[in-house]
Amino acid sequence: MTETSAALDDHDFMRALLNLVIPPSPSGDLPGAGALGLSPFVVTGLQADPLLGPLVEAGARAVREAALSEHPKGLAGMAPQAGTKVVEAQLANHPLLIMGLLRYLYPAYYQHQRVLEGIGEPPRPPFPEGFDVEATDARLLEKLRARRTA
Amino acid sequence: MLNEPVGVLVIGAGASGAAFAWSIADIGTSVLCLDQGPWMKQQDYPSNGLDWEARGMADYSPSPNVRGLPADYPVNEQDSEISPLMFNAVGGSTILWAAHFPRLTPGDFRAKSEDGVGEDWPIDYETLEPYFSLNDRMMGVSGLAGDPAYPYHEPPLPPLPLGKTGNTLASGFEKLGWHWWPSESAILSREHEGRAACINLGPCLTGCAQGAKASTDITYWPAAQRKGVQLRTGCRVRDITVRADGMADGVLYYDAEGELQEQKAEIIVLACNGIGTPRLLLNSKSKQHPDGLANSSGLVGKNLMFHPYAAITGIFEEPLQGRRGPVGCSFWSHEFYRTDRSRGFVRGYSFEAIRGFGPVQTALWGMVQGLIPWGEDHHRAFGRLYDHTASLVAVTEDLPEETNTVTLDPELTDAHGIPAPKVTYRISENSRKMLAHAVERARDALTAAGAVETVAQPFFREAGWHLMGTARMGRDPKTSVVSERGQAHDVKNLFIVDGSIFVTAGAVNPTSTIQAFALYVADSIKKNLETLFDEV
Repeated sequence: MTETSAALDDHDFMRALLNLVIPPSPSGDLPGAGALGLSPFVVTGLQADPLLGPLVEAGARAVREAALSEHPKGLAGMAPQAGTKVVEAQLANHPLLIMGLLRYLYPAYYQHQRVLEGIGEPPRPPFPEGFDVEATDARLLEKLRARRTA
Repeated sequence: MLNEPVGVLVIGAGASGAAFAWSIADIGTSVLCLDQGPWMKQQDYPSNGLDWEARGMADYSPSPNVRGLPADYPVNEQDSEISPLMFNAVGGSTILWAAHFPRLTPGDFRAKSEDGVGEDWPIDYETLEPYFSLNDRMMGVSGLAGDPAYPYHEPPLPPLPLGKTGNTLASGFEKLGWHWWPSESAILSREHEGRAACINLGPCLTGCAQGAKASTDITYWPAAQRKGVQLRTGCRVRDITVRADGMADGVLYYDAEGELQEQKAEIIVLACNGIGTPRLLLNSKSKQHPDGLANSSGLVGKNLMFHPYAAITGIFEEPLQGRRGPVGCSFWSHEFYRTDRSRGFVRGYSFEAIRGFGPVQTALWGMVQGLIPWGEDHHRAFGRLYDHTASLVAVTEDLPEETNTVTLDPELTDAHGIPAPKVTYRISENSRKMLAHAVERARDALTAAGAVETVAQPFFREAGWHLMGTARMGRDPKTSVVSERGQAHDVKNLFIVDGSIFVTAGAVNPTSTIQAFALYVADSIKKNLETLFDEV
């Protein structure tokens, strides 16, 4: 494990970081991102991204080191508010940390079945069932027909 | 037999190559098409899985530079304000397109006469009309007859349902008294010629698993193959070879195993679109054609036109069921299509109503716009946007400029060592004014439709779907590359049938017109075989 990749490979740290970025919803309908085991998907994406990958890795390492300096268990041992402060303190030096992380976290989070159910979507692929859509408003169609060229 | 000489060799199996090959097969000679990509399988398309949005940013991205698949070639776009988009497979970019299917309007063929800009086309709408209709039937087009923006014609299938999003947005246009009309869409509203109707999957832009969206691998190609057309996949053409008299006599291409092959042909037809076609012509240098094939005018690769886009999104209080249904096919508006000089620009733009975003796109768009934060407020902000947005995009008419070019990159090559294209492109001042105007008018329409907030992207880079103008047609060999029937002025047995022949761009998606032109060229060859190579 290299110094640079250590933060992204630290499962407890990543779980805590992802839970700060997308925490559980207040109602409990939506899980925190850290609870869904999404780290491998996110890390794989970042490691293949020559632009964002190094920037996020550097930012994550800085957050991890800062958290360890405040709590022996690092970010995983801190309350959400305290953890958020640690992350925010690093953003001045690592402005693309969160955006880079979310570039790969959102696609993982918002395709998860539990999340789809939580936002009111059926937890299935679009095909083969498809969806119904509302018909064209008959009053609008009547107006168009009156304007038709022959 | 492999590499037996053929009568007609078509390069590219996308929108235009498929239509042309299907039609030209009627002459009874051997017809072969080479394509660098593979056949696609509907069961592999992203909408078969939960990760359909993620794959749209990876192996089904519209950018060849992001995908980097074996069928792709890199494009140097560092000096371009718009990223070229395309897909390389049987079906070409119709695999990933929205299938929004407007025709160019009659006035689009007369920009010079009407407004003193660009050039007039050497053909007109009326000449192409029978081919538009034939193509509509072959592709399976849904729409509502009688749009006042066009000469009367009847789409073969009834229009797609607008859905709640379309109904809502259309009500805004109604309130303002603006033109709008249900889009003509190459998507089946009913079963058509053995293909099933649309079931509103949503992700049209990553391939249609239902097969309701027309892509030429499932429309023209089965019919062309039944006529005896051969299609060879995984074959990348390196250059077009010529005889001592300068006529084309075949191509050199790399086959699927990477071996260099030679294919002789009597007629060669280019259907590689606005970047692939000039790339191949410029790579085909010879003693007879030292500046590239068919390039005595010096115009091969010049006058590149995109359609600069603006996107304006409204946020609504009511849920809109937005991500259901064909994302890019709802309705269009030509309210601002024609020149009104009081607006400060010439020519105009169309609006295209877009259905809503999926959850991943909502989250990413919200992040980029600063509307969805990370942390404890994330879910509230996401919930305010998801299923509560609808957008208008403005498709603006780009004018031809010789400084917007496709050239050969001096260093970058594809996997076979063939020089890659380099795109140099700047958005004109006229287009910028048009985009700014469109943003304000779109805000008006969205607000009239009930949007509580609007968010504008006055211009976005990933908009280079429409690749036009780089081998334009005309009657004068000094100012054009091909004639009005697609025949290269310099090389009488070389034809071009793709978007590179466009003289001006219009302000609508070009594929309907590209395919109509390909069918027209095929018909012209069929009718003039005996005199085809005579000097005019």
